[in-house]
Amino acid sequence: MPVTLATDTVKITRERKFGYVVPALLLIVFFFIVPVTMLLLRSVLEPVPGMQNYAALLGSTTYLRVFLNTFLVAGVVTIVSIFVGYPVAWLLAIMPEKWSRIVLAIIILSMWTNLLARTYAWMVLLQRTGVINKTLMALGLIDKPLALVNNLVGVTIGMTYIMLPFVILPLMGVIRSIDPAILRAAALCGAGKLQCFLRVLLPLSLPGIVAGALMVFVMSLGYFVTPALLGGTSNMMLAELVAQFVQSLVNWGMGGAAALVLLVVTLTLYAIQLRYFNPARGK
Amino acid sequence: MLLDFDKLGGLKPLLTVLVVVVCIFLILPIVFIAALSFGSSQWLIFPPPSWTFKWYQDLFADPRWLFSALTSLKIAGIVTVLSVVIGFLAALGLNRGSFVGRDFLRALFLTPMILPVVVLAVALYALFLKLGLAGTTIAFVIAHLLIALPFSIISIGNALDGFDRSIEEAAILCGASPWEARLRVTVPAVSHGIFAAAVFSFLASWDEVVLAIFMASPTLQTLPVKIWTTLRQDLTPVIAAASTLLIAFTILLMIVAALFRKGRKA
Repeated sequence: MPVTLATDTVKITRERKFGYVVPALLLIVFFFIVPVTMLLLRSVLEPVPGMQNYAALLGSTTYLRVFLNTFLVAGVVTIVSIFVGYPVAWLLAIMPEKWSRIVLAIIILSMWTNLLARTYAWMVLLQRTGVINKTLMALGLIDKPLALVNNLVGVTIGMTYIMLPFVILPLMGVIRSIDPAILRAAALCGAGKLQCFLRVLLPLSLPGIVAGALMVFVMSLGYFVTPALLGGTSNMMLAELVAQFVQSLVNWGMGGAAALVLLVVTLTLYAIQLRYFNPARGK
Repeated sequence: MLLDFDKLGGLKPLLTVLVVVVCIFLILPIVFIAALSFGSSQWLIFPPPSWTFKWYQDLFADPRWLFSALTSLKIAGIVTVLSVVIGFLAALGLNRGSFVGRDFLRALFLTPMILPVVVLAVALYALFLKLGLAGTTIAFVIAHLLIALPFSIISIGNALDGFDRSIEEAAILCGASPWEARLRVTVPAVSHGIFAAAVFSFLASWDEVVLAIFMASPTLQTLPVKIWTTLRQDLTPVIAAASTLLIAFTILLMIVAALFRKGRKA
């Protein structure tokens, strides 16, 4: 008899539980879904109902230049992060723990350091009279200082710095989960190093690479702070455009339209990642 | 072979050099800022002509820096408490509930984390303007809570996944009320998840810039907003001093987290 009683009690505690998610749900509905929807509605309602904001946004070379900047920077940052991050993640996955612990501590420290502090550091390092220009000139590699800041070069360097940990850490996990015996088998079957890499290691880690690349690309598209500080006013990116429409121009219609473009691109890429490259899928 | 550190052959020095270079790249700006904050050059010349504490004195002499740090601390503190409590409840519901749309809700709760934060910032700014809440502490807390909550739900959710809930049921069978069992059995058992949730929530608010820029008013600024507005004017070494203190704080937090993990293993 006590056994029946026990299952009954357990059954009661297992039912429903919807009430627990209500506070979080209220927060999300009132301060996330409602305001974002309102903002997007303004893009087709202000100043007058219609699609004129989108026509203006997509029909002007000034704004197309912003889109181009955004995709260019996000693309270059993604490619560089993957090409540099992959070998680092690879070695990190297999190196003795006493060393990998130090490298990981450095990666996490850089990741956790305040974003503005990091961006400030790059503003100082990359400026005309900064250490990097001075070192290059002292080495005789250049005659006059390179313009490394207030342009897309500066933005790309600063963003790559921020994104590298986001590539290295997940890729390290992916490579660690590959069974070394598979590579030993490939080597035993006569595959050379290059063949082992191209036909075994790389394909096995490809889902991690694509997932990491998509994540970095999406994050870079919507970045605001680093492009604003390292890029200067003439090299605007999409997130800055949204902010500028709202803050300086008080043009909510255009701001909403630019926000919608950013949102649609982000969510589409995110959906692709979830659908095809989710590392957690099948767990 | 390629996954055996000792059998990498010629690749080993190549990859090692790359890792060292990347480590230098990652640590360089941090070390550099710390060094410059003690340098005497107003124009951040490196190496500095001489060493000084002037920038730290300037930093502490200006009450606006201290006030903005206190504002950050207050907002991050409130956000941490709310995020952990609401996150714990939500994780419990998502983890154990059997209601319709549970997976959808889980995805919905995590969306603020993946959405470009500038979109959320602009949308909230418009809403708070309408509600007359722009530039208030409440606006700050709500904005930061939205991006802190996903961290709590993930951290506490993961901890709950690893917790054998029959232990909680045993407590109920022994006469505890469901909430008594939860508070005295489940909460201690998932304390590492709650701790992680608290740390991430605190950092999410403390370091947040974009939402804060839109929520701030001339009289209510968090530390990142103060750094942002100062940076837009010039590259004064006072920011190097403020950044160095922030970095020191981060390292302290890392050490605490590491000790906490060690303590759990022992």
